[in-house]
Amino acid sequence: MSFLRHPALHWALGLVLGGVFLYASYDKILHPAEFAKIVYHYQVIGPSQTLPPLVPNLVAVTLPWIEVVIGACLVAGLWRREAAALSAALLLVFLVAVSSALVRGIDIQNCGCFSVTAEGRRAGLQLILGDLALLAGALILTLGPRSAAALAPARAENVQEPA
Amino acid sequence: MGLRAWRIAVLVAVGVAAGLVWNGLSGRGFALSGNVFVRPGDEVIEAAEAKARLDKGALFLDARPVDFYKMSHIPGALALSEDDFERAFARLEPALRARFDLVVYCSGYGCEASHIVAGKLKQRGIQAAILNEGWPAWTDAGYPTRAGEQP
Repeated sequence: MSFLRHPALHWALGLVLGGVFLYASYDKILHPAEFAKIVYHYQVIGPSQTLPPLVPNLVAVTLPWIEVVIGACLVAGLWRREAAALSAALLLVFLVAVSSALVRGIDIQNCGCFSVTAEGRRAGLQLILGDLALLAGALILTLGPRSAAALAPARAENVQEPA
Repeated sequence: MGLRAWRIAVLVAVGVAAGLVWNGLSGRGFALSGNVFVRPGDEVIEAAEAKARLDKGALFLDARPVDFYKMSHIPGALALSEDDFERAFARLEPALRARFDLVVYCSGYGCEASHIVAGKLKQRGIQAAILNEGWPAWTDAGYPTRAGEQP
């Protein structure tokens, strides 16, 4: 399984995962109130009798920008493992939200993953599989080496490169 | 694996700060304290007020899908589902135009149908109040319900 620690794989995964997060943030940032409605539809963090609209509203306003920060770091290779860990945590939260909606029989016609205005994807099994694939990529990045640059000096000291 | 937790905290903090600034300054933001389903000019009433209006003879409109209406609805309510608005409205229009005490409801917290139906009615010059938190608020209060097709 040593290929899982290959710098080229990490570079490519960072680009793909980061690109997905950047793309996912775009429409939500342009239409925050539309995204808030989708957060309401999930009925996970309110609004409800106990949770005021402020809670889902704050999530709707800040989540897309957290996605931007994660995406930018992953693409640039800056704090890549921490950004990947945070992306894994978010993907896990999305997984729980979608599953809980499915289990409770709530029909989420637009999952709010990428587009919040046009016809978005329906929350379903396909979505869960896609989320799991991204989660796998995020975990490979999280558990990988700190970065190619950080490893290089250590290698130079310990390992004699063949001429 | 040696993740640095403070870096994760910084990433989250930067994202939250950017989101709040964008919401405040971009012109695309919205009021964080209110429900985004509620539009300016909407009349939103609580279950107790809705019950008082029912007792005074108000007409209720059920914005949920018709199958839910058949299972159970507020007494006297008419089915005016968001999915099938145009057809249902064409049939009910004369009755609705004669009323000034309409109340729309849908299936509750995550549901926008009552707001959409009230908005469409307003476009057609008909004023309708919206029952806050809809069906669950009504049934949780123990108010009466009926089953069956539309009369």
